[in-house]
Amino acid sequence: MQTPKAPLKAPSKARIQVTKVPFTEILTMASESLWNNRLRTALTMLGVIIGIAAVIAITSVGQGIQKATENQLQALGTNSINVLTGSARTGGINQGGGSASTLTLEDAQAVAKAPAVKLVSAYLQRNRQVSYGNQNTSTTVIGTDVNYSPIRNTFPVEGRYFEQEDIDKAKSVVVLGAKVRSDLFGRSNAIGQRVRIQGEQYQVIGVMEVKGASGGFDQDDRVYIPLKNMSARQVGNNALQGISVNGFWVQALDESEIEAAQFQLTNLLRLRHKIFPPLPDDFRIVNQTDIVSAFTNIVGLLTLMVGAIAAISLIVGGIGIANIMLVSVVERTREIGVRKALGATRSAILNQFLTEAILVSGLGGVIGIALGVAIAYGSATIFQFPFLVSIWSVVAGFGLSMVVGLVAGVIPARSAAKLDPIQALRSD
Amino acid sequence: MIRLENIRKAYYLGGVNVPILKGIDLEIQSGEYAAIMGMSGSGKSTLMNIIGCLDRPTSGKYYLEDRELTTYNDDELAFIRNRRIGFVFQQFNLLSRSTAIENVMLPMVYSNIPKEKRHRLATEALTKVGLSDRLLNRPNQLSGGQQQRVAIARALANRPALILADEPTGALDTQTSHEVMELLGELNSQGITIVLVTHEHDVAERTRRIIRIQDGLILKSEDLAELPA
Repeated sequence: MQTPKAPLKAPSKARIQVTKVPFTEILTMASESLWNNRLRTALTMLGVIIGIAAVIAITSVGQGIQKATENQLQALGTNSINVLTGSARTGGINQGGGSASTLTLEDAQAVAKAPAVKLVSAYLQRNRQVSYGNQNTSTTVIGTDVNYSPIRNTFPVEGRYFEQEDIDKAKSVVVLGAKVRSDLFGRSNAIGQRVRIQGEQYQVIGVMEVKGASGGFDQDDRVYIPLKNMSARQVGNNALQGISVNGFWVQALDESEIEAAQFQLTNLLRLRHKIFPPLPDDFRIVNQTDIVSAFTNIVGLLTLMVGAIAAISLIVGGIGIANIMLVSVVERTREIGVRKALGATRSAILNQFLTEAILVSGLGGVIGIALGVAIAYGSATIFQFPFLVSIWSVVAGFGLSMVVGLVAGVIPARSAAKLDPIQALRSD
Repeated sequence: MIRLENIRKAYYLGGVNVPILKGIDLEIQSGEYAAIMGMSGSGKSTLMNIIGCLDRPTSGKYYLEDRELTTYNDDELAFIRNRRIGFVFQQFNLLSRSTAIENVMLPMVYSNIPKEKRHRLATEALTKVGLSDRLLNRPNQLSGGQQQRVAIARALANRPALILADEPTGALDTQTSHEVMELLGELNSQGITIVLVTHEHDVAERTRRIIRIQDGLILKSEDLAELPA
C-alpha cells in the first residue's frame, strides 16, 4: 500500500484542476480546531460576549431610567397650572412670596369660570401633628375639594375620596396619604377610625395611592381634609375678605389651552386684585409645562448620555474582540504554514478561519445577547425601572461583534495565507 | 524525476540582494535516496524548500515528474505538495493541539478523501511507523522520536512519490535518530524517492547519494556504492 501512486497523468504544460475542499470538511475542521483549542476559543468568545452584553445591558438600563423619568413626568400632569399666593407689599416693601394670603376661595371660583379652564381646586395647607391612639406623626395637612384628586392625578386605593357633600358641609373627615396611613395604622384597618389633628377628631374615609416623591416633596406624607373645615378649625382666616387659600390648581381644557388658561386667569386675578400696570402681580403662576420642558431637556441629555455610553462600550467591545482575534491569528501563522505545506490552498485556509470566526462570533453573540438581556432584566427588577431592550442595541451589538470578529479574524489570516509556506513556517 | 536547471535564489535583505543559490543544476531519479549536505548558510535548506515547492526560485527551471513547476500558480503548487510530496521537518511541525491520528489525516482532508477511508489509512500509516497504540495522543504526550514518526506517517498519508526531510534527526538523540533513519531506508526500499538535508556525516552516509553544496553551488555529487549496514 505504501508504494507511491503513479505519477499524475498530466502533460507538463497542462494546468491542474485544483479541487476545492468541501464546506462540510471545512466546517468539521473549524469545529475541531475550536474544540482542540478550547481555552483560546473560550477567551475569544468571552471578548465577544462581554462586548455585546455590555452594549445591551448599558443601553437597556439607560433606556429604563429614561422611561422611568418620563413616567414620573407624566404623573405630574402636564395640563395643569399652579397658582400660588405672591408677595404682599406693605408700604412698598416686598414681603416675599407666600408672605400673605392674597388668594381666596372666591378667586378660585372666579377662575373656574374662565373659558379655557376645565377644573379648579383650591387648597390651604399647614404642617400639623396627626395622631391615632399613641401613634403620631408630623405631616402636611391639605384642606381642599373634590377636584384635587382628578387634577393632581391621585386616587384612593382604600375607601373613597371626598364627595361634594363632605366639602359643602365642611365635615370632619380625612383622607390619608400612603405614608401617614402606614405610620399611624401599620397593617391594621384605617377606614372608619378616628384620628386627631390639633385636638380635632376626623374620621378616616380613604387612603390615597402611593405616588412617591416629586420636586422634593413626599406626596405620600400628607393628609387631606375639606377646605372649609381646614380654614375654620385648623388655620383661622386672615384674608381681607372670603376664605384665604395657599393657592389653587387649574386644569386647562387640554394641553393646547394651557397658554390661554394662563392668560385668562392672570388678567382675571389682576382685575379682581385691582392691580394695574406697572404694579407687579401679587400671585405667582407655576406652569407645569415649564417644568415638563425642563425635565424633557434632562431626559434628552440622558438619552445623549446613554447613546454615548453605548457607543463607548461598542468601541471597547470591538477593540477587545479585534485584539484577541488578532493575537490568536498571529499566533497561528506557523499552523497556517504547516497546513499550506501539507497542501492547503489559500482559499481552504481562508475558509477555515472565516468559519471559525463566524462560529466564535456567532455563538459568542448569542450568549452575549442572553447575558445582556439577563443583566438588564436583573437590574430593572432590583432597581425598579421599566425593563426595555431595544432591538437597535441587539442588532448593533451583534452586528458590530460579527463584523469586528470577521475582519479581525480573517484579515490577518488572509495575509498569513498569502505567505509562501516557508515564511509562515519560520514564524514563531 | 527531479530536474533543476540553473536555479537561482536571492533574498532581498535590508536593501541588498543576497544570493543564496547561484545556479544549481541537479537531477534526481525516481527511487533515489539522496542527502544534500553542506555547512549552515550553504543554501541546502533553500534548495530543499524549492524542491518541496515551499519557496520559489528567483530564476531557473524546476521540473518534477516532467512538469515545469516554475510555471505553476500557488494553488497548483499546493496540489503538488499535497499529492506528490511528503515533508518531514526538523521541528516536526505537528499541530500541537491535535491528536496523532488527526495530524496524519490532515493532508488527506485537503485531498478530499472521505472520512472513513482517511481514518483507516491514517491508522495504517501510524501502525507502519510503530505507533498503533498512540493514535489519540497529542504531540506533547509523545517523545521526540515518536513525534517524528507521526510526522513521517503524515508525510506518507497521501502516498507521495517524494519525501523531503529537512534535518529529520536534528532534534533527536542518537538512538532515535537510528530508528528514524531505518524507517526512511525502509520506505525508500519500497520505492519512494527520498531527499534529505543534513549536516551530519553518519546520517548522510546511510543514504545512497551525497550531494555537497557550498556557497550556493553544487560542489560535488557522489554515489555511494551500496547502502551501509
